[in-house]
Amino acid sequence: MKNRSAKTRISTRALLVSAAFGAALLSGVSTVSAETLTVWSGYPEMAPFYEHVAQGMKAAYPKLEVKVEAIALREHEKRVALGLTGGQDGTTVIELSGSTATRYLENDLLPEAPADISTFVKDPKNFDKFFSDTAGQGGKIYGVPLFRGQGALYYNTDMFKAAGLTAAPKTMEEYSAYAEKLTKRDASGKATVSGWSMRLSGGGQGIAEKFWINMHQYGGAILVPAGDGKWKPNFANEAGRKALKQYLTNIFTTKTVTPEMPADADAFERGQTAMFIRESWVIGDIAKKAPDLKYATAPLPKGSIALPTNLYVAGKGADAKVGWEFAKAANSPDNLVWLLQNVGWLPNRSGVDYSAVTSKQPAFAAFVDYPKGYEFFTLPSIGPIEEILTRVAAQLVVAFGDASMAGDDAKIDAFLKKTSDEVNTILAREGLAAK
Amino acid sequence: MLKRKRWIFAILAILPTLALFAYVRLYPIADTLRLSLFKWDILSKNKPFVGLANFRELTGDHLFIDALVNTTIIAFGVLILTIPMALIIAALIFHRTRSRMAGFYETAVFIPHVVSLVPAAMAWKWIFDARLGPLNALLTFFGIPAQSWLFDPVLSVICIIILCSWQALGYAVLIYIVGFKNLPVSLYEAAKLDGASGPQSFWYLSIPMLKPITLYVSVVTLVSGFNVYAQAFVLASDAQGAPGRQVRVLVLDMLENSFRNYRVGYAASEAVVLLVIVLGLTLIQFSMLRERGKV
Amino acid sequence: MTVNPVTYIEPTTEELAEGVRLRRKKRMTNFAIDVFLIIVSILMLLPLVFLVANAFKTPAEMLSWPPTIIPRDPTIANFSAVLGETPLLRWIGNSIAFAVMSTIAIVATSAIAGYIFGKFRFRTLNILFALFLATAIVPFEVYMIPLYFQAKSLGILNSVWGLLLGYLVMSFGIFLIRQNVIHSIPDELLEAARIDGAGEFWIFLHIVLPLLRGALGALAVLAFFQAWTAFAWPMIVTTTRTSYTIEVGLALFQTGFTVDLGRLSAASATVLIPSILLFVVLRRNFVQGVASTGLKE
Repeated sequence: MKNRSAKTRISTRALLVSAAFGAALLSGVSTVSAETLTVWSGYPEMAPFYEHVAQGMKAAYPKLEVKVEAIALREHEKRVALGLTGGQDGTTVIELSGSTATRYLENDLLPEAPADISTFVKDPKNFDKFFSDTAGQGGKIYGVPLFRGQGALYYNTDMFKAAGLTAAPKTMEEYSAYAEKLTKRDASGKATVSGWSMRLSGGGQGIAEKFWINMHQYGGAILVPAGDGKWKPNFANEAGRKALKQYLTNIFTTKTVTPEMPADADAFERGQTAMFIRESWVIGDIAKKAPDLKYATAPLPKGSIALPTNLYVAGKGADAKVGWEFAKAANSPDNLVWLLQNVGWLPNRSGVDYSAVTSKQPAFAAFVDYPKGYEFFTLPSIGPIEEILTRVAAQLVVAFGDASMAGDDAKIDAFLKKTSDEVNTILAREGLAAK
Repeated sequence: MLKRKRWIFAILAILPTLALFAYVRLYPIADTLRLSLFKWDILSKNKPFVGLANFRELTGDHLFIDALVNTTIIAFGVLILTIPMALIIAALIFHRTRSRMAGFYETAVFIPHVVSLVPAAMAWKWIFDARLGPLNALLTFFGIPAQSWLFDPVLSVICIIILCSWQALGYAVLIYIVGFKNLPVSLYEAAKLDGASGPQSFWYLSIPMLKPITLYVSVVTLVSGFNVYAQAFVLASDAQGAPGRQVRVLVLDMLENSFRNYRVGYAASEAVVLLVIVLGLTLIQFSMLRERGKV
Repeated sequence: MTVNPVTYIEPTTEELAEGVRLRRKKRMTNFAIDVFLIIVSILMLLPLVFLVANAFKTPAEMLSWPPTIIPRDPTIANFSAVLGETPLLRWIGNSIAFAVMSTIAIVATSAIAGYIFGKFRFRTLNILFALFLATAIVPFEVYMIPLYFQAKSLGILNSVWGLLLGYLVMSFGIFLIRQNVIHSIPDELLEAARIDGAGEFWIFLHIVLPLLRGALGALAVLAFFQAWTAFAWPMIVTTTRTSYTIEVGLALFQTGFTVDLGRLSAASATVLIPSILLFVVLRRNFVQGVASTGLKE
């Protein structure tokens, strides 16, 4: 009797555990069902777009159920990494930037696109070579290009008028001069509205990415290809010094901006900064949150970042087909115009008439009609890119807090050298460093 | 015979718990130790054994060292702030045990320890806010220049120490109150007869007699200080409109290495370092207690 | 200051006056102590008061300087906005489900293991107990990454089961119950029952458990709040919006592109108020549970 009672306990426990397993299995089964498609996005503002695409597919796939799960980019990248390595259940359409996707392609974690999709993407009438290249590797196509993150200057025209400025700054020197004129100060001289909002704090790689955009105007880069799939840093030089010095001058000498001031789109929408550099989604954001804001956009002096984002499909056999159909449907002209108009991210497909949107919203012009010779750069498609940017960002935050560096070129050079060496160490560890 | 039956019952009864325990505690702990010796990247198929290479890399990794230094400063900062304050507050609450307010004091001091961390940190984020926060309003009211609390490299660490102390205080006070309740009353009466004032008996009687409790609370505070994460995450999270300075702490660096850089083996080696620190602190506590026992 | 040895003689008027003076001094001291403690209490509660106040402020007032303590024209717009835009109730539901299940698991495993370790002094068991105790000092953060991969291979990420995996057993709980078993359950009672022919399981259920009610109650409250306030583990286990616990939901709420402190406060207050109420109701249990953590020797 004694033993039996003990066993009763065990079986209760076993029951509990098996119930847990059962529930887990059940939920697994339900997502596997053929007519369900999951869309993983790293941009919450993209969710309505994917819903819209799904709506449009209703005619051809009446029973199709599309689940859109759009979460913050960091979390999105985490779940992709863990989901793909652990055997994803069901068919999932995954939105990834070309640079992030590379590491999955290298490890065979994402399947190649079927032939018809591949033809669609490779057709130069549909996509510029730049975009079809980032969606593939070694001549094969793995993803369908969708939109890109491209930067431009946003400026508050009311504030420009008040400061006697009529046009957007055209050189980096002008950016600094404008920032000085645009900064509003209280009686003690402390800035209350920043002239030029720069990314100076926060966690993660954003700081380094923004620094790169500024440095690009001077001809520098955090990483440049060194042939043979190898990379090398390219910022311990004049371009790096000029870019960093511009930050330091604005923070410590002309005091047009401080780390604790409200920054970015949020500040711009509230009139807390006069200008800043950001991607096209801000246009949609302003339309939603600050529709009365008077602003304009302008291309950057030399060129911009262009971060293409593609759609990939994880899934097997016939089920995956509907995933690819979805990726293609997202690229239909109607949907792309809808994307530009309602979300604001720039579609990558050529040969689509966006003028219905761009003519009504002149702010898009800076993203679409850029000058001849405008130079684009993109994040390298290498595994440790995020680690490198995070580490450069951590160093930059220290520099942005060091007033003594502002007037000391030797100190700036030493700092850039040290940071550049650190980047090289990571590249060497991963076997990516140029000899 | 009977003994044997009882033994069988005991083993059978303990088995499910033991199995569970082995699965959710022992195995992952062992796995942490194992992973720390591998170049175990989530994405690569090849996960080679690298011996102590991860630990060697740690010694030259300035982000890790930064995190280790910050975490140590935070842990000891919280300790230094919390223990004396807790001792005094506990003594005073104990002194007023019979007053109607005692329950209120206890609750008020303890609530920060039980409220969810994230909402509490939100409140502090506003308090520390450079432009809108009441802390700077108070400072400027007294003619002290406003500080950018969450952005200055030193102040941002202090902010985390304050937030952690605010949460740790209640626990320490509670443990001390129990300690006071267990002190022999007769000793205090004797001291009173000998003419000792309240503060005197606090200083010469309570503090020495509460030493084991102080030791215990110190170690608990230190260990939880070394595990600080959510506070740093919330006070300086990625929010683009109002970021703060990222105070790098051990757990944060660990999670970043494993889930952003996908270097799980490397993160495991950080976890091992954390484990060694915590074990060291606990051993110090035990040896100090034993020494006391001998005297 | 020296005081004469106590002798029992009639107090003189002088001595009576001295007594009055002493009593007054004592009252003054107590008053000063009360004032100090009230100030401390208010300071401790102030951040939470701020949070609740902010939840009722309009966006304009949120941005005004100097900051106000009490909202000028209170609004519940923040609450309705938060409830409309985020699955806040879902998150709270997830947290409750997780905390309740974790509590049940911890109380059940601790009750059995604590009793066995307390009353069955076999060498095997003593070794096992030492093992349980030794792992108690290993912080969760140390082994949560391998545990995460276990959850993944079970396929229970993004579910309450995945959350639960990290909070199924509690070494301290086993220790706590064992101490209680040793101190409050006399061997004679168990022996008497055995002589009467009661089975071991019957004894556990009908004699041991009722006697442990107080300790188990304290442990339950402790376990509940431990799960309710968990952060690092839910943060890595849940990546879908619908599976977040309230802590994670709130923390990620502010990492969108823009931050709205008023709404954030409203969401926070919605979470805080019930947990504070729960705590105030269960304070006795809780204090007992926490206090027992300090009595390790």
